[in-house]
Amino acid sequence: MWEQVGLNVVSYVLASIGCWNLFKKCGVKSFWAVIPVAREYHISLCADKEEDGRTLTLLSFIYYASWLVGRFINSSNRLSVIIFIFCFSSALAMVIVKIRVYWELIKVFKRNKKWIIMFFLFEGITLMIWGLVKGFVPSFRVDDLEGDGAKILGQDVSDDINGLTINLKSRTSWDFFKKKTLLKDIHMNIPKGHMVLLLGGSGAGKTTFLNAITGYEKADAKITLGELDIYDDYEKIIYDVGFVPQQDLIRGNDTVWLTLADAATLRLPSDTPIKERFARVDSVLEQFGLTVVRNNLVDKLSGGQRKRVSIAMEYISDPTLFILDEPDSGLDGVVARSLFEKLRDIANDGKIVIVITHTPDRVADLFDDVIVLIKDSKRTGRIAFYGTVEESYKFFEKDSMEGILRVINPINVGGDGRGEEFVEKYADLMKGNVG
Amino acid sequence: MAAVIAGLVAFCVGQNLFKTMEGTLMGTFAISCICVWNGFFNSIQVICRERAIVKRDHRSGLHITSYILAHMIYQAVLCIAQSAITIFVFMSMRITMPSKSLITGFPLVDFMITIFLVTYCADMLALLISSCAKTTTTAMTIMPFMLIVQLLFSGNFFTLPDMAKPLTNLTATKWGLTALCAQGDYNSLPMVSVWNNALKMQNVEINGEKPLQDAFVYLEKNDYRDEILKKTAEQNQNPEFAFDDDVVYKCWAWLIGWTVFYILAAVIVLEFIDKDKR
Repeated sequence: MWEQVGLNVVSYVLASIGCWNLFKKCGVKSFWAVIPVAREYHISLCADKEEDGRTLTLLSFIYYASWLVGRFINSSNRLSVIIFIFCFSSALAMVIVKIRVYWELIKVFKRNKKWIIMFFLFEGITLMIWGLVKGFVPSFRVDDLEGDGAKILGQDVSDDINGLTINLKSRTSWDFFKKKTLLKDIHMNIPKGHMVLLLGGSGAGKTTFLNAITGYEKADAKITLGELDIYDDYEKIIYDVGFVPQQDLIRGNDTVWLTLADAATLRLPSDTPIKERFARVDSVLEQFGLTVVRNNLVDKLSGGQRKRVSIAMEYISDPTLFILDEPDSGLDGVVARSLFEKLRDIANDGKIVIVITHTPDRVADLFDDVIVLIKDSKRTGRIAFYGTVEESYKFFEKDSMEGILRVINPINVGGDGRGEEFVEKYADLMKGNVG
Repeated sequence: MAAVIAGLVAFCVGQNLFKTMEGTLMGTFAISCICVWNGFFNSIQVICRERAIVKRDHRSGLHITSYILAHMIYQAVLCIAQSAITIFVFMSMRITMPSKSLITGFPLVDFMITIFLVTYCADMLALLISSCAKTTTTAMTIMPFMLIVQLLFSGNFFTLPDMAKPLTNLTATKWGLTALCAQGDYNSLPMVSVWNNALKMQNVEINGEKPLQDAFVYLEKNDYRDEILKKTAEQNQNPEFAFDDDVVYKCWAWLIGWTVFYILAAVIVLEFIDKDKR
């Protein structure tokens, strides 16, 4: 038994020495190398696999705790069997998660994938080699994510009583005891009657931005719609903001009419008379061309019709600010074009329509403005441009929205990785405009 | 489905239900299991399968309490119907039912209230699981574990180690089984297992004779059998199953208590639905 304990201690010391140096290379504080549980989490940070790190932390805590308790319990005790089950299953799960983490660590260090066998069989020695040998250099450092990132504008735009004014300083969240900045320094005025395209690569913070401007997830910001502050007057404004999610979140076994009637009950003020509510349902059905299918089950509708029902559900409250997250996903070009023309009509009625789409070029002519968001080197969502569609082509020196996306997207997803350059260029441009 | 399960249980264990102690214990355990099974299957998927829709509706102003209340009303109707079906099937299969009432004056109504409360309690537990689970797969994976816990920790059917006994208070099966045994006047029923086991030894020979067989012949000839069965039962009475309205009220209170707890927990869990990651 003592031999086994000795072996574990030696392996732990070797791994600690290895991690101490490895953490230095990866920009993580070295002392975490000697603290059980925290060490596993920080290895995951080095591998840029934070989510796996959280799982690993939990599993290693269960493992170490059950191992420790097991040492002090008589092996003939029935409880020791339960402890053993905990210890064994957490160890097994740990091995699987560790393999995933080390696999990514190998990628970060750009080394041969066969190293995974070494990590699996001789974890302590392998970590020591990776820590001590100078040739092992990571392509990514954890401390690269800290700091301020690209230049900021830091100046609010003045409130526009005829539109939406956004002055967002930052949107942060606490994640596993760490504060993360998801969005930073976004300022703009969107006049009523404008249809705006929200463009950005995956993870740029588009949905976070929309959630912040609708007041659903509050940010350090002042956002006004007309004369009302969205955050301070949230209860008053809740029916004046419509958000259509990407998926068609509708009960398939309800009829179209019943779906809209339910939506009207939820989204219209509770003192709305029932006659008025039903009249609104009929009017929206007419407006979205759904009258012919009013008694059909949602499950029996085509993709385009279902999408129109999903939009109509939010439009039932006649919102001034109407936001749609990829309304054209899964629709063919003709149906998508027809849907966007409907949205254009809504904007022409004096509403603000903001749309996320991943195929913008087929409908680019229908938009007034474009907002371009990027993820900077600190993984914070930043604004790279806000202006008319024509101005955006000039600003990015491209002739299509896809061209703009390509130039701002990070290199690891096939882009040019020039996002931050445009953040700074836009900040300079705005400073000139704002003064 | 409720009718089929009730029919199967009545066919397998209904013969001695409310006739002997052993038959009653086994039968009431089986009835509790039917109730838990029905309750679990009623609601295990109802929330998790439309979780994204609930999240969207919550964003639009849906009150979670109203949403859960709507489910509670619908599930209550379902559970009442299932309880009625179960009793109807038992009666159709001529299963003996409790003949004395402790609470309402109608023994079948007492019996049905207990069945309903166990089913509804399990239903609300499944609703809570459905509120916690993000997907139907997760909910259906958790369900068998919860079912096993309900069966294993029913208290009086399996012999548990002392340290595990407090856990039996957590299960709807324990309170259902106890209430049903009390309503069936378990302590007044004969116990047959000792007699039947002894009967198996009647052919044992001692010095070329069969003294046990002689004893059984003597006892049966003089009509002592029933008296012995009753005497055996007297030695094995369980005060927890006393034919007393306090016992039934206590069981119902526990079942209602757990039901309320599960409902509150489901509401609290769903209030955080906005935190779901995309």
